[in-house]
Amino acid sequence: MADAIKAENRKGFLVDTSRCIGCRSCQVACKQWNKMAADKTVEQGSYENPRDLTPALYNRIRFLEVGEEPGGVNWLFLNERCMHCGEAGCMKVCPSPGALYRTKEGVVAYNKEKCISCKYCVSACPFNVPRYDSDDKVSKCHLCLDRLSGGMPPACAKACPTGTLKFGKRSDLIADAQATGKQLYGVNDLGGLGVVYALEGPPERYGLPATPHIPLSIFLWKDVIKPLGILGFWGSIGAMLLHYVTIGPKKIDEAPEKEERHE
Amino acid sequence: MSNYIERFTAGERVLHWIVTASFFTLLLSGLGLFSRLFNGYFTLFGGGGNAIMVHKIAGIVFFFSSLYMFLKHRRDVSTFDEDDRRWIEQRGGYLSREEAHFNIGKYNPGQKLFAIFIAAATLILGVTGLFIWAPTLFPRWIVQLSLMIHGLMFVGTVMFVVVHVYLATIGNPGTIEAMLYGDVRSMWAKRHHPKWYKEASGENP
Ligand code: HEM
Ligand code: SF4
Ligand code: SF4
Repeated sequence: MADAIKAENRKGFLVDTSRCIGCRSCQVACKQWNKMAADKTVEQGSYENPRDLTPALYNRIRFLEVGEEPGGVNWLFLNERCMHCGEAGCMKVCPSPGALYRTKEGVVAYNKEKCISCKYCVSACPFNVPRYDSDDKVSKCHLCLDRLSGGMPPACAKACPTGTLKFGKRSDLIADAQATGKQLYGVNDLGGLGVVYALEGPPERYGLPATPHIPLSIFLWKDVIKPLGILGFWGSIGAMLLHYVTIGPKKIDEAPEKEERHE
Repeated sequence: MSNYIERFTAGERVLHWIVTASFFTLLLSGLGLFSRLFNGYFTLFGGGGNAIMVHKIAGIVFFFSSLYMFLKHRRDVSTFDEDDRRWIEQRGGYLSREEAHFNIGKYNPGQKLFAIFIAAATLILGVTGLFIWAPTLFPRWIVQLSLMIHGLMFVGTVMFVVVHVYLATIGNPGTIEAMLYGDVRSMWAKRHHPKWYKEASGENP
């Protein structure tokens, strides 16, 4: 689906992971602003908590322990959330118009009332982001749409004490970061991500796909099978009609026992 | 000699129409899920959420009735003989206006292949449908693959059914009587299924 976003309107995050101290202010601020209950968690031998996005957790810090030298451990923090992809897999497959929609800022927002709980979006998301609430409706980061419309930054960016989460005009944030020589992730992938990262090291180290893309079978489903299938439906009906008027039906031979006509 | 000969019992006919009714329910409720172009079909069911629910129920009915139908006549549709080979070589005479005659049993090879295809498609649509039903319970790649295969088999099945409906109605006048009343005209049977007619009636056509 080609949903054009005007670059000058597009808002986004620049996440500079080198500044993150893993304090999780963003996680907490998001929960507070969006009035979401706490998730029950289990101690699993990690500071990472909760260990995955949930219907009541739109962003979280991924804690990664990377062994560097013998005995030493490097702690990496990654703010994980919906990337607000320029070409969003979730929007491509959603069969319910208006359930997932694009705002003029480029946000991939959603309307639970229109969600029909098919859950196609979770399969199509390159980052496995959408979750479903207790009513089976889609839920994920919506960039605090209500705050945006009032001219305020999203709660997470407001709360971040270190400047890791910078929110603003996407093109400016990218230009600034590139001027300081940082390697960026997500500038052009998937039509440009709404969340661009400055990572310390290769994306795989953070559990991010090196070249994010819409899953192949989802692409084949929506971009190949669907258009060819619609052609096929009409084609098969057309072929039968054509057969009828050209070659014609197989009539039963005229026969004495055939009933007489009553016209 | 009687003018009519029995082709399907009442039970066989009811089963076929259960399969057909559930199939068209699946088709109508699935179109809106297949493409936003067909979104209007959701209104038939009062919204997409209801359409999904109807699709699941019809899917269960179709899965079991269609497989049962295949099991019931699997012996008639799973073996091919020399006369069938001739039919296939000449495409059943459907591509020419010339009169063609084949010594065909209860079903011609086209019908046999259709029955086998529908049975396979029912299995595949049913299994992939189950993964799509509860996507969060299965690995993502399985659900992604299932969405693709479900769509592919949907397209294939609809196209085959279009051909089937044509051949069973206006393409072969007299055929529909088999599924409506159970009896077909003897002339029809001698023309389309002479080998079966001979066995069923004990007559030499
Ligand atoms: C309006 C829709 C349909 C009509 C008018 C129709 C009509 C018929 C007729 C007349 C026959 C008997 C053919 C004969 O006596 O040789 C038949 C057989 C059969 N039908 Fe249908 N049918 C319809 C839909 C379907 C659907 C949706 C399916 C399955 C998805 C199906 C599966 C079969 C099968 C497996 C047979 C056995 C013979 C064969 O393999 O062709 N039918 N149908
Ligand atoms: S990250 Fe996933 S949920 Fe977010 S916009 Fe992209 S495809 Fe949609
Ligand atoms: S679950 Fe809801 S938002 Fe997701 S694809 Fe289905 S209708 Fe759209």
